[in-house]
Amino acid sequence: MTDLTRSSGHDTDHPHLDDAAASLVPAIAGIESHEVPGDGTEVAAKRRVGWGFWVSVAWIAMVVLAAILAPWLPIDDPEVTQPTRVGERPPYPPGSEFWFGTDQLNRDMFSRTIWGARTSLTVGFVAIAFGMLVGGTLGMLAGYFRGKFDQGVSFVFVVLLSFPALVLAILITALLDRSLFTISVTLGILSVAPVGRVARASTISFADREFVLASRTLGAKNPRIIVRELLPNVVIPMSALALLGMAVAVVAEGGLAFLGLSVEKGSTWGKLILNGASSSRDLQEAPWMSFAPIIVLFLTVLALNFAGDRLRDYFDVKEAAL
Amino acid sequence: MRFWLQRLGAAILLLLTVSALTFGAMNILGDPLFNILGPIAGDTENPENIALIEAAEAEYNLDKPLPVRWVIWLGDFVTGDFGVQFSEDGQPPVSDLIAERLPRTLTLLVMAQLMAVFISIPWALWSASKANRPVDRASTVLTFAMIALPNFALAVVLKYVFAIQLGWFPLAFTANDPFWSRMWQMVLPAITLAIPAAAVYQRLLRTDLITTLQEDFILTARSKGVSRNAVLFKHALRPSLFSFVTIFAINTGALIGGALIVENVFLIPGLGRAIVEAILREDFPVVLAIVMIVSAAFVILNLLVDIIYSLIDPRVRAA
Amino acid sequence: MSVTSPTGLGVSRSTSDGPLLVLDDLKTHFRTERGLVRAVDGVSLTMERGESLGVVGESGSGKTVLSRSIMGLLPSTAVNHGSVKFAGQEILGLPTKQMRHLWGAEMSMVFQNPLNSLNPLMRIGKQITESLRLHLDMDKSNAEATAVQLLRDVHIPEPEKRLRQYPHELSGGMRQRVMIAIALACGPTLLLADEPTTALDVTVQAQILDVINEQRRDRNMSVILVTHDLGVVAGHTDQVAVMYGGRLVERAPTRTLFANMKMPYTKSLMRSIPKLDDPSHTRLATIPGRPPDLVNPPQGCRFAPRCAYVRDKCRTEEPPLVQADSPDHVYACWYPVGSPEFIERDAEVKASGLLTASAGVGMAG
Repeated sequence: MTDLTRSSGHDTDHPHLDDAAASLVPAIAGIESHEVPGDGTEVAAKRRVGWGFWVSVAWIAMVVLAAILAPWLPIDDPEVTQPTRVGERPPYPPGSEFWFGTDQLNRDMFSRTIWGARTSLTVGFVAIAFGMLVGGTLGMLAGYFRGKFDQGVSFVFVVLLSFPALVLAILITALLDRSLFTISVTLGILSVAPVGRVARASTISFADREFVLASRTLGAKNPRIIVRELLPNVVIPMSALALLGMAVAVVAEGGLAFLGLSVEKGSTWGKLILNGASSSRDLQEAPWMSFAPIIVLFLTVLALNFAGDRLRDYFDVKEAAL
Repeated sequence: MRFWLQRLGAAILLLLTVSALTFGAMNILGDPLFNILGPIAGDTENPENIALIEAAEAEYNLDKPLPVRWVIWLGDFVTGDFGVQFSEDGQPPVSDLIAERLPRTLTLLVMAQLMAVFISIPWALWSASKANRPVDRASTVLTFAMIALPNFALAVVLKYVFAIQLGWFPLAFTANDPFWSRMWQMVLPAITLAIPAAAVYQRLLRTDLITTLQEDFILTARSKGVSRNAVLFKHALRPSLFSFVTIFAINTGALIGGALIVENVFLIPGLGRAIVEAILREDFPVVLAIVMIVSAAFVILNLLVDIIYSLIDPRVRAA
Repeated sequence: MSVTSPTGLGVSRSTSDGPLLVLDDLKTHFRTERGLVRAVDGVSLTMERGESLGVVGESGSGKTVLSRSIMGLLPSTAVNHGSVKFAGQEILGLPTKQMRHLWGAEMSMVFQNPLNSLNPLMRIGKQITESLRLHLDMDKSNAEATAVQLLRDVHIPEPEKRLRQYPHELSGGMRQRVMIAIALACGPTLLLADEPTTALDVTVQAQILDVINEQRRDRNMSVILVTHDLGVVAGHTDQVAVMYGGRLVERAPTRTLFANMKMPYTKSLMRSIPKLDDPSHTRLATIPGRPPDLVNPPQGCRFAPRCAYVRDKCRTEEPPLVQADSPDHVYACWYPVGSPEFIERDAEVKASGLLTASAGVGMAG
C-alpha cells in the first residue's frame, strides 16, 4: 500500500513543500479540498472498497441466486396466462397479487423478470468468460512475447475494435442462428479485444519488473513464468474488468433483444422491455410492463459497474505503489 | 511527415481487412443468388429459370471466385459505385439509400455529441472546483446512474415521460415535415444518446482536471492573483483535454451503435435502421456499404484525434 | 488594503514608513490524519524595504512553508497563528479574495522548478501579460511592450521573439529568468524566491542570483531568498535567518553570521559545504540523522538528537532566542560556538573526524 502517512524528511512527490507534511497536503493553494484532515483530493489513497461495494455485491448475488433457483422458487410459471379478474382486462398494474403486474397476456411480470434474468445473466457470464479466456490468454501471450506475434495480435484487436460492436453482433447472429450459444459466443468475441488489450498492457507492465527477471535467472522457462509469476498478478485487474465486462454484455444482449434479434426461445430482460414498449399505447397504458424489467436491469448493471469500478480503484492503487 | 504516412497506411490496411472480412462473411454464410431471385434460385430444372440464374450470375459476377469478386467490388466502391440493393422488388442503387438515410443519422450523432460536450465541460469544471465535497460526491453517483442505464431503457423512459405523458415531442419521425420540425423530433433521441456520453466525458475530464490542478504551474497562476475560475478555465482546462478528445472520438463509434437502438425506438429512418433491415434480408451490398462507411468514419476519427492533439499540445508538434 | 496608485513600473508603490514585513510568532500547522504537523512553529523577524533576507535550512525545516505563509498561499488544511504585517497591515488570515489583490501585484513568488512552474501550453508572452492586464489594467499592446522590457531587464536575448515561444523551447536558466520577469511584472514590493537556483546548473545559478539582486536594487524591492545552500546566501543577502524543525534558530546580518556564527547547527551547515581548496578525497561532511518529526517534536532543543555538541540540558530544556554581541544577531542555544562547553567538545569532535571539512584534518580517519 502506498505509505502516504509516513513522514519522510525530503522531497518526494511534492517538491515545492519540503516539509514532512508535504505528502499529506494537497499542493493546490486556494482550491478547496475536503475539510477532514488528511482527506485531500483524489490523490489520497482509496484504501477501502466501501459499503457501496458490498451493497452492490449483495444485489448481484441476490439476482443471480434468484435466477439460478428460478425453477424451484414459489413463483408463477412465466409463460402461463394467469386467470383474469372479473370486469377487468389485463394487463394488471402492480399490486399485492402480482408484484410487478402482468403483461398483455396476463402473465406474471415478476416471474417473467426472474426467468428473464436467467437468460440475460447467462449470456453475460458466458460472454465475459469467453472474452477473458480467449482475450486474456492472447493478450498475455502478446504482452509477454512481444515481437511479430504481438503485432499480429494487436492488429487483430484493432480490427475487432473497428467494427461498431452492435453491428457486428447483428451481422453474425443474422448469418448464423439466434441460439443462446451463438449469441453468447458472439458477444464473447466482441469482448476479446477490450479484455485482451488490458491483459496485454498489464502483462507488459509486469513483465519488466524484477520478480520476473529474478525468476528467469533462476532458470524458469517461459510457460512457468507466465503461469506462476504473471498470471496471478494480471488476474487481479482482470477480475475488476470481469464485473464491468459482464455489465456490458448484459446491456449488449438487452440491446440485441430490443431490436428483436436476441435469443428466440425464452425471455430476456431486453425482450421484456421491448414487449412493453413496442407499442406506444401499451407504453402509455401499462408502463409497468417495461419499467419493471428496466428497473431490475438498471440496478443490476449499476451494481456491476459500481462494484467493478471500486475493485479497479482498490487494486490500481496497489499497482501504483509497486 | 513519415509519421502521418505511416498512420495513413495503417488506416488503409485496416479498412481493407474490414471490408474483406465482411465481404467474405456475407458471401460464405449467405446466399446472394437467393436474395436476388428468390426461390427460383434453387430451381435448376426449369430452363427459363436457368437462364435467369445465369443472367444474374453474369451481372453480379457470382460465377467468379471470391477474392476476385472482392477486388471488383472494392474497385467499384472507391469510385463511388456501391452497387445495387439485393432485393426482389427492383434493384435501386445502394447509394440512393445511403444518401437518403445518412444525413439523418449524422444529424442525430452531431446533435448528441454537441449536447454531451456542452453538458459535460461546465459540469466537469464545476465538479473539479468542488472536488470531494458532498455535492461532488453526489454528482459522481449521478454519473454512475447515467452510464448504467442502457440506452434502450433510457429511450423508453424518456419517450414515456416526455412524449407520452408530457406530450412535448411527437411519437414518431415524419420525413416530410419542415426542417425545424424534424430537428425538434430529433431532440429526444439525441438526448438519449447524449446523457451517457456526457457522463463519461464529465468523469474523465473531472479526473484530469483534478490531476492538472496539482501541477506546479497552477500554483504559479494562483500566486499571480488569478481568480479561481480563471485558473480553472484558462490554465487547467486546456492541458486536461487530451483524454477527453480521445474518448470523444472513440465514443462517436459507440454512439453509432447507440443510434441503431435509438432510431428503432423513435422510429427514425436512418442508417441504423437501414443496416438492421438489410442484414435481416441479407442485402449484402447495403450491409457492406454501411459497414465500410462506419469503419471509415472510425478510422478518420482516430486520425483526427492525432491532428487535434498536435494542435492542443505544441510539444507534440515538435516531435 | 490602501495602496497608492502606480507611480510607474519598477518603483514600489507603498509609501508607508517603517519596516516592510513584520512576522510575530508566526505559526503554521497542518491538520492531517497523523495529527497536527507543526511546520512553522513560532518565527519572528523584521524586514525593511529594499532588504534581502535569506532563509536557510534543510528539507523539513519549514522554510518553504514559511514563505508560503507570508504570501498566504496555503491549502485549507493549514491553521495559522501569530501575525504577519505587510506594510503595516495585518495580512495573516485575510480571505483569498483580498489576498488576490496582493498576489502578483505587491508580493510575488518565484518557484523552484521553472519547467513545471510555467504553463506548458501557454506562450511566454501571455504568461507575463496576464498579471499586467489583471492588476494594472493594461491593454494588449501596452502589456506586450512592457513584457518585452521585462525580459530585457532579466537579460534574455531576443525578447520579442521569446514572447511567442513556449516554455519547452527555452533553456532552464532562461525559463527561470522568465519566472522572475513574471514575478516582477507589476512591480511588487516583496519578492519571495523559493530555491530559485536549486534546479539549475551551477554556472547558471550565479547569473540568476545576480539578476534577482540587480532588480532588487533597481526597484527598491525586498527579496526573501529561501534556500538550503549557505553558499547562495553568502554573497546575495543582507540578513540571514536559519531555520530548523520549524523554528528560527539563528538570525543575523549576513556578514555577522559568517564571521561569528553561534549555533552549532549553523556551524555544521558551514562545514558541510565542500570547499574548492580542500585536498582531494576529503570526506564529505554531513550532519547525521534526520530532521525532527513535526507532529511530535522532541522536548528540549530540536537539534539535540543530531548535535555533536549536545549536553543533558539541551535534551530537556528548549533554549530561548537570545541576543549575541549585537541586537540584530539572535540565536537559540545553551552552549553556542565560543562558549567553554563548546570549545571543550569541539576538540573531541575534531579528533574523531566527525564534521570536519577543514584542510588537512579528517582524511580517511
